[in-house]
Amino acid sequence: MTEGAHSRGRLFGKNVLEGVFRAAPDEDLFLGEILVAVDEATRRRYLFRVVDVTYGTEHREPGWAERVAGTLLADDLRGDPGAHPLHEQDRRTYRVATCRCLGYLTPDGSSFRKPKSLPTQFSRVLTPEPEDFEFLSSRMGDLPLGNLRSGETVVDFEVGIPGESLASHVGVFATTGMGKSNLMKVLASGVLRRQGRYGLLLIDPHGEYRADLTRHPWAADRLRTYAARRLPGTSALRLSLAELAFDDLRTAHDWTRPQEEGLFELERHYGSTDLRWLLDFAQVEELATFREVDLNGRVALNTLQVLQRRARRIVDLDCVVADPDVSVGGAVVRDLTAGKVVLVDVSGLGSTEEVLVASFLTRKVMDEWSTAFLENPDLHQRLPVVSIALEEAQRVLSASRDKDTNVFPRVAREGRKFKVGLCAITQQPKLLDDELLSQFNTFFVLGLADEKDRNILRSSSKQDISGLGPEIQTLMPGECLVANLAAPFAVPAKIHLYDDLLRATPPPPAAPATAPPNVAALVD
Amino acid sequence: MPTSLELTADRLAALLMGPGDALLDQGRHDLEFERQLVARPLERGSAPPDVWAIDGGQGTALDARCLQVVVTRAARVRYAGGACALEEEGPLNVSLVGGGQTRAAVAALDLGVAPDAGLEGVINLLRDGAEWQAVRRSVEECAPDGIVLVDGDLQPDWRVPSTFVAGVLAEARARQVTLVGVTKHSSLSRGGAPLMGMLELDAAGRLGPDAMWWAPVAHTRPDLAVDGGGLQVVAARLDPQAPFAFRVDLPADVDAEPALRRLSALCDDAAFPGYPYPLTVADRLAACPRWLCDDVRSLIEERFDLVGVPLEVRERSFADRHRLMERS
Repeated sequence: MTEGAHSRGRLFGKNVLEGVFRAAPDEDLFLGEILVAVDEATRRRYLFRVVDVTYGTEHREPGWAERVAGTLLADDLRGDPGAHPLHEQDRRTYRVATCRCLGYLTPDGSSFRKPKSLPTQFSRVLTPEPEDFEFLSSRMGDLPLGNLRSGETVVDFEVGIPGESLASHVGVFATTGMGKSNLMKVLASGVLRRQGRYGLLLIDPHGEYRADLTRHPWAADRLRTYAARRLPGTSALRLSLAELAFDDLRTAHDWTRPQEEGLFELERHYGSTDLRWLLDFAQVEELATFREVDLNGRVALNTLQVLQRRARRIVDLDCVVADPDVSVGGAVVRDLTAGKVVLVDVSGLGSTEEVLVASFLTRKVMDEWSTAFLENPDLHQRLPVVSIALEEAQRVLSASRDKDTNVFPRVAREGRKFKVGLCAITQQPKLLDDELLSQFNTFFVLGLADEKDRNILRSSSKQDISGLGPEIQTLMPGECLVANLAAPFAVPAKIHLYDDLLRATPPPPAAPATAPPNVAALVD
Repeated sequence: MPTSLELTADRLAALLMGPGDALLDQGRHDLEFERQLVARPLERGSAPPDVWAIDGGQGTALDARCLQVVVTRAARVRYAGGACALEEEGPLNVSLVGGGQTRAAVAALDLGVAPDAGLEGVINLLRDGAEWQAVRRSVEECAPDGIVLVDGDLQPDWRVPSTFVAGVLAEARARQVTLVGVTKHSSLSRGGAPLMGMLELDAAGRLGPDAMWWAPVAHTRPDLAVDGGGLQVVAARLDPQAPFAFRVDLPADVDAEPALRRLSALCDDAAFPGYPYPLTVADRLAACPRWLCDDVRSLIEERFDLVGVPLEVRERSFADRHRLMERS
């Protein structure tokens, strides 16, 4: 299939894991471009990813290229461009592309192997053909996300991730404007269309998903939306103090040591395992007297004042109630059990309260799934894999967070066996705890300008992305690298535009017709 | 008491700052210099339809001082209609110099070198001989109105018979081909100071820093031409942005200015403004770099294996004793 194909270059150097090839001076090579080196001797086709492109020249004199540039520049400055052509530039100059070897296709194209041998030196380098990516088709899973991207070219080959991999945690890393929200909507779309096979709990702090997700043709059946504010088409988000736990409180706020001691004192004083005592405490008028009489002066007054201020803020929230019967915790768990996308719109809440909601719901899900795993394996078998997506994940997954009481590190470490995964969205992966990040098997890396952010991902990624720093730095909005265990290398992708995806999404299949009662009775 | 460095620097400064009038080409005393060297403006013409460029290269593969294996070659390139039509590295000539073998190497040149000619610096003769053989072939193949460029002046090693060079010049004349020699680093001097540098400064002052110019310098070698005209030597700056002017040799019967105009059309390459681009290509092709000499040495070693030259004999003969001492 390579005869007559346009040769992009000839391989000439490096080692098993890297390749260097020479290309014509006008060969348009892009970072991240995937190319094929065809070994005529073994008939293997080696896939390479371009990680750097530099200039080369036949002239060995030091400073030759600078001298030429100086001459041309001087012509420009004199207003006489072209006065000194560089004769036969195509013979005297060239480009050198440095590549990472991704692996090779066996001669029959049936399997793809990691690189363990060198292609024959001076092998031809070609643009890959659709057959070269065929091996990926079985590894792209059932949650499609976009198209394969080779440099600037979008290849007609859909890429995605297996829904099962949601349980082994997903990281979405990008700076502002690089397409995180679009990616999450596309991911949610995939979950919606899997008809209950997976669940997704999406905590939305900015209210940016509701309008778009409700437009999805499958939303009527498979999307549930809860909102902390009154919003059309949403269920009211209600959390009961009876269901909130002390650990949720500790996860939501940063507490000093004296404040933590004060919380313990209050918990002991009110003798409650849930947070209903916040209501009583928030109503205490004479805090100094309360401190002296009820707490025997064991908590400093100013500490107590801070605790009461925070307690009042929580109990004053519209979405916080005392009555356990109106809590949505159970409903959210039921929706997720049914394999729905549950969107929790917490726009209008502060960051602390948002984490409180997320912590509560995550703990509910984790309890439900872990209990089923331990006590009812059959039920657990039927439960869908569920992913909990949280923006600004560094707030709950940083190294400084108390891992004993914080539910999120627990999910990161243990959730996989219960089929509960995290989907951590952050602009600053460097703030995530290394050990927790190593639990994440799937990375979506969109543009990241900070080298420290890239370095932390490099050391934790399940695929080698060490040479891809420049590519990550130069990703455009919507372009990303998908690194997980399913694919043999970090797959470059162009994420579908959600609006385009909506236009291409067919309506859900019609529900099967229900038999009239009399017929149903006969069947029974 | 001034040191030798101070004395030398002072003498050098005196030469550079206050040169005399005596014009000279180091090692050659056959130049008849112009009375006055005056730079004249030069305009760029159009490129010749056919251009050949020839350059020679040399290297040493084995060196026992009294006995050397040297390699030489002459490369040719041709540009027709502005495009490269031929690149010819030229055959690699491997010659044994010393040990009574030098005359055989010289005879193999087939130039009619006198059998009693001196043999000092014979590698220059071997290189120039190959180069001028290539010049002759190029003149024969060049289209009318074409130019054959030679790296260096048009006076090959003194042992090359003048009849041979005269024959090439006559052939060029008959075929309406202009033979041009371009010397990058000239030994022309005035009052002991480098002439070209002084001419460059003088021309820049007279004609401006961005001017192309040329200046007749001398005539020489009346023996080389059939009609007794010999060669003419000029200095020329062949591009407005050229960092240097070069010595250019032409047959004496060639009208210098039109020839230089056409030559300047070949000197606009961005990498080498002022120097004919085809000569740079020939220069690259003719080079005999270290790796090439090492290859030759390896092949000779294989031959030694076949004929049974013991390793220690080779080692003792061709060891680089300087390097050995530097290592110790």
